[in-house]
Amino acid sequence: MAGPSEAEKPFDIVATYNELLRTDSDMTMPIAAIESLVLLLTHSPSSTISETLDLLEKSTAHLKKSIPNPIGLSAGTDLFQRYLITTLQRPGQLGPAGDFNAIRAHLLSNGRLFVRRAKESRDKIATFGRGFVRDGSTILTNGGSRVVASLLQKAAAEKGGLSAVRFRVIYVLSSAKGDVENPSAEPEGMETVRMLRESGVPVATIPPSAVAYSIGKADTVIVGAEGVVENGGIVSRMGTYQLGLLAKAMAKPFYVVAESHKFVRVYPLGQYDLPIEQRVIQFKTQEDIAEAEKQRLDAKSSDVPAKTSSEYREVVDYTPPHLISALITDSGVLTPSAVSEELIKIWF
Amino acid sequence: MSAPADKKPAADPAAEKLSGAELKKKAKAEKAARRARERADRDAAGGTPGPKDGAGKKGAGAGGAAGGKDAGAGGQKGQRQQQRRGSTQGGPEAKKRPVENKNVAVFGHLYGQPRRTSVAGAGKEVHPAVLALGLQMRDYVVCGSSARCVATLLAFKRVIEAYTTPLGTSLSRHLTTHLSHQITYLSTCRPLSISQGNAIRALKLEIASIDPSVPEAEAKAALSEFIDSFIREKITVADQVIAGSAAQKIQDGDVIVTYAGSSLVKQTLLAAAREGKRFRVSVIDSRPLFEGKNLARTLVAAGLDVQYTLVHGISHAIKDATKVFLGAHAMTSNGRLYSRVGTALVAMSAKERAGGVEVPVIVCCETVKFTDRVALDSIVVNELADADELVEVQAPQQLTGLPDPAAAAAAAEQETKKGGKPNQTAHSGQSAAAEFPTDASPLANWKETPNLQLLNIMYDVTPAQYVDMVVTEMGSLPPSAVPIVHRMSTNM
Repeated sequence: MAGPSEAEKPFDIVATYNELLRTDSDMTMPIAAIESLVLLLTHSPSSTISETLDLLEKSTAHLKKSIPNPIGLSAGTDLFQRYLITTLQRPGQLGPAGDFNAIRAHLLSNGRLFVRRAKESRDKIATFGRGFVRDGSTILTNGGSRVVASLLQKAAAEKGGLSAVRFRVIYVLSSAKGDVENPSAEPEGMETVRMLRESGVPVATIPPSAVAYSIGKADTVIVGAEGVVENGGIVSRMGTYQLGLLAKAMAKPFYVVAESHKFVRVYPLGQYDLPIEQRVIQFKTQEDIAEAEKQRLDAKSSDVPAKTSSEYREVVDYTPPHLISALITDSGVLTPSAVSEELIKIWF
Repeated sequence: MSAPADKKPAADPAAEKLSGAELKKKAKAEKAARRARERADRDAAGGTPGPKDGAGKKGAGAGGAAGGKDAGAGGQKGQRQQQRRGSTQGGPEAKKRPVENKNVAVFGHLYGQPRRTSVAGAGKEVHPAVLALGLQMRDYVVCGSSARCVATLLAFKRVIEAYTTPLGTSLSRHLTTHLSHQITYLSTCRPLSISQGNAIRALKLEIASIDPSVPEAEAKAALSEFIDSFIREKITVADQVIAGSAAQKIQDGDVIVTYAGSSLVKQTLLAAAREGKRFRVSVIDSRPLFEGKNLARTLVAAGLDVQYTLVHGISHAIKDATKVFLGAHAMTSNGRLYSRVGTALVAMSAKERAGGVEVPVIVCCETVKFTDRVALDSIVVNELADADELVEVQAPQQLTGLPDPAAAAAAAEQETKKGGKPNQTAHSGQSAAAEFPTDASPLANWKETPNLQLLNIMYDVTPAQYVDMVVTEMGSLPPSAVPIVHRMSTNM
């Protein structure tokens, strides 16, 4: 019993997770979660299956609690746990009867393999999705999704090649308005905009308020996702839902680009049924503001305002499946209803 | 008032007025003519107590009701009735009138054999447990898809226990045919539900896979074990899992709307209540089965806040709803929900209320209710119950002691028709109407009322886009995932 707790002391899973996300800009949340779990297993000297599972469960719960929005990472932890259990249940050398050290070694190597494969999946998606960027079309996109960026880049890079795709991009940039501390901070996605412009793609940037105005000029809407939920809807950066609604109203195809490891076992029934707490709508009177201001001055703790700003950048909304035309994933281009099929395949 | 007592007076005047046309048998026509003559004699005598006076009294009440309806329908009908009366006496003329088809044309293909009314004529192979179960299902004593499935399996377990393989055949071959007799009998009592069908298919598959060399006792024990584990896995435990996960979707302050009496929804709501969640339940119910009453009673007993409405109050009930929970009879392969008639109305009202986003419709359904059939509408596949179930109405107790207005009008009508002569009959009719208010049901004589057809349909189909989520023991799914899960759960 003392084993795991001692091992956990030197190894802080939350810090590892955050560190992984910070150092590797290509890392997505589920992959970072899996990688940190693999690291945890290497650091902890657990010797039985149940001990390992117990440790994983505890660390996962701890990790989920410490991160404000655990939807993305829970896709990774769930997947890893599931993989672990199926591996252990399989008969043979690695089954319950086998040597535990062999099992562990196998798990670790496979965990690494999984992480590597997940990173490669972005290229695969770009290959699948390239066909959706047609010559002469205008793409509307938002947020800072790296998959969308790599897809657009792939399409742009072919410009000089055989299939010359000329396209334009309307990029919806959320001004970092919630960022009180740093009003001049670069809006999310600016990096992609620069990169696209460098490769010769004309990019227009618009604020979210201009989406309805501009969507008439766009042919296709392509967005990224933080998590793909069980009914085929997506959890994504705040503002994606309204993009979806407008695209539906204007009858523009709305594509979602996401790696299949982002499929998560969550079934939200609506915007307010997400398993996270978001403080987006906050009613205040002048009195409340004065009160809060006073408290802030009293406390003078520096981390409070910084936290709120980062929180604002991380808020998400839920786009229901009926707004989505298709999901471009590394296991193919799926309709929203096929997502549940994929999920069931993973889980049963 | 019991059902047969209702029907008897309804049938009596029928025989008097219409029997020639209805039965098309000479003997009957003659009998009716004789009766009519008798009646005329009695009328003339001013209500002489005859041998069938007890029935005559009731008959007068019912007849009065019929008369009242005619008065309401206008002069033309009255004329027709007079014509008919004339025709009863002139036998041959009446025979030419065709029997009016009381089947609703669109649903004509659903009128099969009428449901069995007794065990008479059942094959000798049918086990007593199955005989009893058949009648219980027919009378809705055992009602609900899962309950019927479990009861059938348990009855079949007893059949298997009592079974001995005849000489010269093997258990795996003969038992299937033996069970087929039981199944045929059950389906004449009430058409089998999807879950029953699925369970029977699984059982037959199991029987067929028994090695003929296995001793009989061992095979029977294995089958009993199979039935037990099927019930446990597919229904008992599945229900617990579903109730547990569906209860997670209930939050404090929710107003849950549910329709009719799904046992699974009941379990879900009770599970949520046990978890200490505070929510209100609005039970929508409908005639003629009133399944919601039982649900409402149970929920109230569990300390929940319950509102009970019939389906015509749906728009009020749905107004402050936050979630809709529905039970299922079956889920079809195109994701549609096949459930008690009226379910579609509830689901659609919930989705149409506020642009269809805010009130999620959640279906609780075991995977044993999934079918590979496809339902495009509620017409092609459905079940019809006895239309007389719609007629029997328990009128509320009349406090003022005034006679039923319809009956009073009927009595007045009768009086005017007969020129004030049969004063006593009219009086007795009036008092009978006051005593037996059910006789005044406007539908009591529906079989004799021309151009009136009653439809007592059991199920309807809710389109997939009105269902947000299907909670099964294998997880929560969108309705589009039903065929995938069905394929997986049948292959395993």
